[in-house]
Amino acid sequence: MIDYNEMSDADFRRKVRQFFETEYPEKLRHLSHRPKFAEIEDWHRKLHAKGWVAPAWPSEYGGMGLNAAKLLIFYEEQQRWGVVRGRDMGVQMVGPLIIRFGTDAQKAHWLPRILSCEDIWCQGYSEPGAGSDLANLRTNAVIDGEEFVINGQKIWTTMAHDSTHIFMLARTDPKAPTKQQGISFILVPMDQPGVKVRTIATLAGETEFCEVFFDDARTPCENLVGELNKGWTMAKSLLGFERVFIGAPNLAQNALGQLESYARGAGRFDDPAFCERFAEVALDVEDHAALYARFADQLKRGEPLGPDVSMLKIWVTETFQKITELMIEAAGPDGGTLGPLQVGNAAVDVLAAFYKARPTTIYGGSNEIQRNILSKAVLRLPG
Amino acid sequence: MSNAAHHHDQDDLRLLRKSVRTLLERAGGAARARKIRDKDGAWDSPVMLELAKAGVFGAVVPEEAGGLGMGLSAAGIIAEEVGRVIAPEPVVASVGLAIGLLRRLCPEHALLAETLAGTTVLATAWQERDVKGLSNTLSCRFENSALTGTKSWVAGVTAASAILVVAEADGGPALALIEPCGKGVSIDKRRQSDGSIMAELHLSEAPAELLAKGPVVNAALAAAVSDTTALTAAELVGVSAKALEITLDYTKTREQFDKPIGSFQVIQHRAVDMHIMQQLAEASVRDALGLMDAAEAPRLRARQASRAKARACTTARKITREAIQLHGAIGYTDELDIGLYLNRALVLSAWLGDDVYHRRLWLRARNAEEAAR
Repeated sequence: MIDYNEMSDADFRRKVRQFFETEYPEKLRHLSHRPKFAEIEDWHRKLHAKGWVAPAWPSEYGGMGLNAAKLLIFYEEQQRWGVVRGRDMGVQMVGPLIIRFGTDAQKAHWLPRILSCEDIWCQGYSEPGAGSDLANLRTNAVIDGEEFVINGQKIWTTMAHDSTHIFMLARTDPKAPTKQQGISFILVPMDQPGVKVRTIATLAGETEFCEVFFDDARTPCENLVGELNKGWTMAKSLLGFERVFIGAPNLAQNALGQLESYARGAGRFDDPAFCERFAEVALDVEDHAALYARFADQLKRGEPLGPDVSMLKIWVTETFQKITELMIEAAGPDGGTLGPLQVGNAAVDVLAAFYKARPTTIYGGSNEIQRNILSKAVLRLPG
Repeated sequence: MSNAAHHHDQDDLRLLRKSVRTLLERAGGAARARKIRDKDGAWDSPVMLELAKAGVFGAVVPEEAGGLGMGLSAAGIIAEEVGRVIAPEPVVASVGLAIGLLRRLCPEHALLAETLAGTTVLATAWQERDVKGLSNTLSCRFENSALTGTKSWVAGVTAASAILVVAEADGGPALALIEPCGKGVSIDKRRQSDGSIMAELHLSEAPAELLAKGPVVNAALAAAVSDTTALTAAELVGVSAKALEITLDYTKTREQFDKPIGSFQVIQHRAVDMHIMQQLAEASVRDALGLMDAAEAPRLRARQASRAKARACTTARKITREAIQLHGAIGYTDELDIGLYLNRALVLSAWLGDDVYHRRLWLRARNAEEAAR
């Protein structure tokens, strides 16, 4: 077993880069859609054989056991080469939760299947009446003998139509004094008559999102992770490392690159008004990177992140949107045209970038919710 | 950089910040800025001396030349602290321009040691005006040991002991020294929004001492202007940091509709946006100063200076304007200190170019770098 943390940062980066550059299929680079598993299965097999499916998991569970510094390098290289995140809800979300709160039997059963993608997971959190106010969720799970019986509906469940299992928050004690209490974290197989999935078409014309309906769906009681009615705090405790990634610079950086190639091809840099606005967004991206580096350094020193990390997400997603607006503006009369626009030697899909930017200010805690968090937890404003 | 070295540097910077903050607070904080504004728009000589004793003017000067040798990052920390209390002393102009020119062009001259000691305060006259505004050419001439011409936007002239002048001599650039009260020198003082003075200097065969000439002067000037631009950005970061703190405190205590106004979501979200801009400006300006410490290439340093000034101006504008709005009517009066911050931000933004100007320079430098690659 290799201890990657023993390697120098530069050596580790070289190793990761080399693996991606030689092994990653060219046709999967910088995918603009979320692939179904079949599309990336070959790549996943390679990654699995290498033991690199779960960079953050401890090595005893089949992960790479990377510390924060190495983990950042791994993800940076992944983004640099345009390597797909894959169907990683299992690796990113359920796995760490099982590792931290699960029983030995749960670990032995589920973790290897996550790594091999024998089970493919989706996340059942949001509901029609529980978006930003997630604790308002109503889908309930009632114990009936050895099983939970589940009724209700989840929504915005990414890739549910290509998943075998769903991990969900369900209400198990409707009489709990606060709505955060009485929620449990349970694992549910989707291949059963009580679970129905319907895809939702998005503005971008894609079908990544789904609704999942539960009508007397069943799952064994042993699929409860952690304590009954303690799911809320458990799920929240997961959001450590994730929060820095949702504010990572890559989406905005890529969009800026696209804007620049389009603008060069279309001669937009001859227009001083365009130049001024380009410089503004380019600096918005560059200066965000300086702020991001501050949080990354904090992680590398092994310090926990505070609630102030929300700043990164707000700034980078709003910058991403500004960039894509400028792309549309630069496209002029082609601004409403779907598909790649050919300019000079470059082809830029302006509207794909625009649509991709829209949900970023909504998902992962809308930017309004992030502002509420900063206002209370960081600025200590009253009320 | 190793972790240990990083911590060592960070500790040094923290100590430096603490000592400058204590010194300036003890001298009277922001209240002192108001007092001097209402007097003559100059500064306190004893405070200049104290700052000198703390090593402030030698932050960037190598240790063997009598400085701290801590680089622009340290000077940036000092500038932030100056900004926080809107101190009237011309710290950035001295460190960046006067000392920046002397240490590069004539490090042996007694003037450098005197300026580091705070016993001499030098103003620097380098810009000129034409009908469109800032001129790109030098018309002020050095001939027969005297200067003739007009220099514009000379900061820190009010109580200066001498003035450094960039002029043309024998077809090339030169740096010369004049006495503010000398023969042939007339100073047209233009009052700024913060009460300070920006001067126009009219020189008519004013006796001058030649300090340096030739292309080295241009190179030293470009480097000094980059430093000063970036340090002004740091000063603006200090201005907006304190303006934001004052405003947040106000929204927590000011009550309307039986609640602190900071409990209203519309105020909260605006406060958060100010906070994000402030954090971003801090990170960006400090990053730029660090990169400038590590780089020699003039174009690269100029690009970072422009990046810093652009971000700091945008941020200070947003925060000081929002600060007035969130204070309501009382913010529009001269009773509270918050207005002093707005007025200082106006001056520091205009000096050496605002955000629009620097974004243009930044993009030009970036494109030149891309083209060279």
